[in-house]
Amino acid sequence: MKAGIRSGALARIFLVAGFGVALSAMPANAQKPGGSISVGLEIDIPGFDVLKVGVYDAAALTASSALFDTLTTLDANGKPQPKLALSWEPSEDFKMWTFKLRPGVKFHDGTPFNAAAFKANFDRQKDPANKCRCAFYISNVNNVQAPDELTLVYNLNDPSVNFPSLVSYASQTNAVHSPTAWKTKGDEYNRNPVGTGPYILKSWTAGDRMILEKNPDYWDKDKVYFDRITLKPLPDAQSRFASLQSGEVDLIWDDEYSADNIQKAQKDSKLTVHTYLGSGAQVYAFNTKVAPFDDIRVRQALVMALDRKKMSQAITNGLSRPASNPYGDGSWVKCKDDGALPEDLEKAKALIKDYGKPVEFKMLVTATPRGRMVGQVLQQFWKRAGANMEIEQVDQATIPPRAFMRQFQLTPWRIVDLADPDIQMYSNFKTGSPVALANYSNPELDKLLDHARVTADTNKRIDDYCAISRLINKEAIWFWTFQNTYYAISTAKLKGLPKMYSGMIDVSRAWKE
Amino acid sequence: MAFFVARRLLYLVPVLIAVSLLTFLIASLLPGDLAYTILGDQATPENVAALRRDMGLDQPIWWRYLSWLGGVLQGDLGRSFRTGQTVLQAVSERLPVSIELMLLAQLGALAIGVPLAIVCAARSGGPFDRFMTGTAFGMLSVPTFLSAILLIYFFAVELRWLPATGYVPFGEDPAANLRFMVLPALTLALAEWPSIMRVLRSDMIATLQEDYISLAKAKGLKASRILFVHALKPSSLTLVTITGINIGRLIGGAVIVETIFALPGIGRLLIGAILTRDLIILQGVVLLVGAGFVIMNFVVDMLYAVLDPRIRHGHA
Repeated sequence: MKAGIRSGALARIFLVAGFGVALSAMPANAQKPGGSISVGLEIDIPGFDVLKVGVYDAAALTASSALFDTLTTLDANGKPQPKLALSWEPSEDFKMWTFKLRPGVKFHDGTPFNAAAFKANFDRQKDPANKCRCAFYISNVNNVQAPDELTLVYNLNDPSVNFPSLVSYASQTNAVHSPTAWKTKGDEYNRNPVGTGPYILKSWTAGDRMILEKNPDYWDKDKVYFDRITLKPLPDAQSRFASLQSGEVDLIWDDEYSADNIQKAQKDSKLTVHTYLGSGAQVYAFNTKVAPFDDIRVRQALVMALDRKKMSQAITNGLSRPASNPYGDGSWVKCKDDGALPEDLEKAKALIKDYGKPVEFKMLVTATPRGRMVGQVLQQFWKRAGANMEIEQVDQATIPPRAFMRQFQLTPWRIVDLADPDIQMYSNFKTGSPVALANYSNPELDKLLDHARVTADTNKRIDDYCAISRLINKEAIWFWTFQNTYYAISTAKLKGLPKMYSGMIDVSRAWKE
Repeated sequence: MAFFVARRLLYLVPVLIAVSLLTFLIASLLPGDLAYTILGDQATPENVAALRRDMGLDQPIWWRYLSWLGGVLQGDLGRSFRTGQTVLQAVSERLPVSIELMLLAQLGALAIGVPLAIVCAARSGGPFDRFMTGTAFGMLSVPTFLSAILLIYFFAVELRWLPATGYVPFGEDPAANLRFMVLPALTLALAEWPSIMRVLRSDMIATLQEDYISLAKAKGLKASRILFVHALKPSSLTLVTITGINIGRLIGGAVIVETIFALPGIGRLLIGAILTRDLIILQGVVLLVGAGFVIMNFVVDMLYAVLDPRIRHGHA
């Protein structure tokens, strides 16, 4: 039985009224080969050698989606489709996935792509001696086997119903590199990546342009149109937008924190705003083992004291979309009742009064203008309810270890846009998981999480996940502020940009009218 | 003169040591921990302890400073943990961009400031002089990022004359390189010309009251000759000093300008290193920039001594 039929993860497309969102519809026969595209990214890409860079950020993903291939790709409905793998098959317990690979594919340096090459990629990342930060993202995979040239077997530690969707985007652990290249180039490989993708790295000036040229031997070259892609790091949001307006670049990465530019572009007929309403959310975890958050009344009070609409207005001109559950509009999990607590200041005040002791606590905040702004807004909401929050500013890199060691009272976190909620929900809420930041244990919650991950029937899984949301909302162990929304702005002539799953802007199959 | 140079060179040593110590301390005192930054999501207490041991982060700070300084003295400033590039590689790739930017900005500032100073000094107290002195004072308080955005808006977005962002190396296409450099250099020049103009103007006014100028006037020399030949040269001593002082300001301005105009220079390298906690690159760049600044000032001192013999003989 094909997994594609089993895991019917249908992400529906929503057009948000008043946003004027242009979702990339794919008109037939309008594709024109030739020409080039210039893309403005937010930051300098540090490189592609996964042992060095650990994780690919949004800028690196744009490049990696052109340079590398992955086993699968997601179509516009969020269903996995073949790429380097032609078909896949799960075991009965969903702990083993067997992929049949596409024959005749070669890396840009001529090295043949096969199961052994893929396994070499995986083993290099998994090897404890390499101390790769990326290993965290494949901790669910026990090992990868290559029984023959074109067969690849993933053995997982935990069942995964939707596994082929999860290996679809060109992240640090999914992009396939040429083993010959990293062995021969050593330290230089980081800035001279070699994949099987539709584009080949032509030149790269540090801190400036990266030029990619069409791969003439690509296995799917009829669906690749631009002859050349130029990627430029343009760190300043205002001048990045100005470069798009003046025609120097055709497309820019953007986010809701430069709301002015997005709203300006929405009114400009020469520009198109590409919006992807992702799954997941920006979230916060209470440490329920320490006062005052060991008391449910305090946790509920703080959640009820929020006014997400006002907060959105304050930080992003109203672009941020309030979240009442961890799944979001981009997820196939849709709940009639997600159990969200009401935003009710009077109730919040009453709960704190009922608690009877002063509510004083510290919240971790990233030491960035955005982090401070969000922290100050929350501080004001909670002050009105009678709670005193002190902002503790820390470096971005300090938050994960502090969170894992439970050295916090309240910490920001994120549930990223993935094709399936299981991985993140399970690690965030299962008793004993290192990422179960709330230090909260509940047998009913564990049972629902265990059931949802081994059930193939999507409707039954939706029931499980909605029950999970109701339970977490009622207990107020975590709360959600805004959904993940991903933006790109381009000239109106650009067509064929796929949905920005996980925030990845993939221009490798786009074209200009 | 040789004795004078040697003495000044000796002064450089403690200054450079102080620069290296400050650089190291600032980088060490930044919030956050290098081990956490490198390990990210895998920062379990055991992993962190092991990595800190491997990197020598568990050693006392004086020991770390001395071993870093030992490396620096042998020409090894270390390697970025993020990109695998050595500090010297990263800096040498980007230095030409920043030097070109600062040179063009300085030339631009002189091209605006010097003629205005001469005209104002010649007609000091007149309406043009008063207007320009006021304007210069106002320009001093306009932040660089604001003038950058305004210039981009007018020249790139509205008029489409010049590119808003980007860079082409001079060796690849000199004409395109200059097109990309106009706006960033002008942004920096706008911040620099007021100080040049004000200093040169007051110097020229004092010079114009000297006896030999009156003599030149009495001889019937042309006013323009008096201004450009007899008055400008003695007044330009101060200009040399101001240029030296401006180097520091230019470096600071370059950080902002390179970020806004997306120029791949030292300033961008520095900002990137701060944002990603790439301490090795950060320490190396700050040290090199600091040393460069100290050495440039040394050169300015020397130039000053060449221009004015009173200085090197200790009579100034």
